[in-house]
Amino acid sequence: MRVPTKPRRLMVRLVWLVVGLLFVGSFWGLDLEWAKIGELPSDVVHYFGLMFSDPDWSKLPEALFQTWRSVSMAWVGALLGVALSTLLGIPAAEGVGPIWIRLPLRWLFAVIRAVPEVIIAIILLTVTGLTPFTGALALAIGGIGTHAKWTYETIEATPTGAGEAVKAAGGNLLQMVRWGLWPSASPELMSLGLYRFEINVRTSAVLGLIGVGGIGDMLTGYVQFRDWSVVGMLIIVVIVVTMTIDAVSGRIRRRIMEGAKSIELDRIV
Amino acid sequence: MPERTPHTEVEGAESSAFVAWPIELDGVTVRYPNGVVALNNVSLSIAAGEMVSVVGLSGSGKSTMIRTINGLVPATNGTVTVGPHTVTTLRGKALRELRGSVGMIFQGFNLADRASVYQNVLVGRFAHTATWKTMLGMASSEDREIVLRALDSVGMLEKVWGRAGALSGGQKQRIAIARALSQEPEVMLADEPVASLDPPTAHAVMTDLERINTERGLTVLVNLHLMDLARQYTTRMIGLRAGEVVYDGPATTATDADFEAIYGRPIQSRDRLGK
Repeated sequence: MRVPTKPRRLMVRLVWLVVGLLFVGSFWGLDLEWAKIGELPSDVVHYFGLMFSDPDWSKLPEALFQTWRSVSMAWVGALLGVALSTLLGIPAAEGVGPIWIRLPLRWLFAVIRAVPEVIIAIILLTVTGLTPFTGALALAIGGIGTHAKWTYETIEATPTGAGEAVKAAGGNLLQMVRWGLWPSASPELMSLGLYRFEINVRTSAVLGLIGVGGIGDMLTGYVQFRDWSVVGMLIIVVIVVTMTIDAVSGRIRRRIMEGAKSIELDRIV
Repeated sequence: MPERTPHTEVEGAESSAFVAWPIELDGVTVRYPNGVVALNNVSLSIAAGEMVSVVGLSGSGKSTMIRTINGLVPATNGTVTVGPHTVTTLRGKALRELRGSVGMIFQGFNLADRASVYQNVLVGRFAHTATWKTMLGMASSEDREIVLRALDSVGMLEKVWGRAGALSGGQKQRIAIARALSQEPEVMLADEPVASLDPPTAHAVMTDLERINTERGLTVLVNLHLMDLARQYTTRMIGLRAGEVVYDGPATTATDADFEAIYGRPIQSRDRLGK
């Protein structure tokens, strides 16, 4: 009996070794105080008690007003971002733009994706100041990175038949995009636009940390004052508002996508 | 382009000074970027007003050939002439204008399912409409008239405001024919127009194409893979196999042996549609 020689898989072992070393090594740089981990559960219980045993609801109107600012920031950021992403994302799709337009655009999206919204906001601060507008602008620009990528991927996944028909009838590129691609891609793009809004609602709270206003700003303030009962109330507000928006927006998105599918049913009914 | 007044009745093209266009392929070769030679040195001459079928199995090059005629696929070598135009030299706006004179229908109908039937047929007027107007879906009153007339001529006028996606396959192909007719073309190309349809609907669509040829006088070139459809509806048949013309003659009297030469294998039951 001749048994085939067992493959050595040297590379695989080497990769595992490196990954293991990286895992262990990463703890060294962090200066972890292992002794404190033991105290963690009791600390958590202590602060949870401070925050949620008796939340301070007297600041609720102010919290709601700041939430409104955050949501507005998210909405304006989403609208601007989605509009820009659509304009830039469609030419970046294969079959629409030539390669010398596609590649620079995709490179631009990748660079934007690599920069977190907070960093973009910090850069914008120097020009537009500590205003919610800065936040909205940061969300819009930051949104281009992912949303434009989703846009060109959606356009590329769209069936090409209708576009071919527009070309065959003598239509130009714009007409091909408008009546060949847009009708079948738009429900998905609208749904992704709403999803972008949901993401922005969460990110806008983070942007508050650097002082552009909104619920995140208020939260940072009260954490610094160590006013835990207000912090507790704010956290409840953030969670309730975010979950509500997610639920409503998610339902609308489902409606849009089902509407796109149910056309086939029109015929039967 | 010949002077023409808009059709004043459904089957009205012959009343005006309408002249259909001949099609000429001279040594046309198409080699795709991946190296596949889809069409190998094909020369053909189709007279104005002829009803011609192009028969071959899938992969024989018939889709490629029909697309060289409106420049959707560029020829690697050779020249394609349609009426007064040399398609193989046209670029940009001139090419789009030629396409405006050549109607085309497809196996998969190629409609925008989520747009209205009206908007879909209006695509046929794009070659003659300012881009900004088409972006907004606007149309001149003449174009609107042409669209409604084209829909009426295929019996689909009542569906004009419905969504294209809500229609059956046969209805969709009729909308696609209306879209091509609204171009007021000189030539009609059809790429496997009935391959996605059930037999009765297939015969109805073939009859529509036949009427476009006999009543409007258009040159019609239709890709088919079924022998009985080619025999019944077309007068001349061109057989393609592996990118080369292996048959060119009358369709009605083509023998089973002729079809076996085109297919490169014995006739099978799926080569016929039946009634």
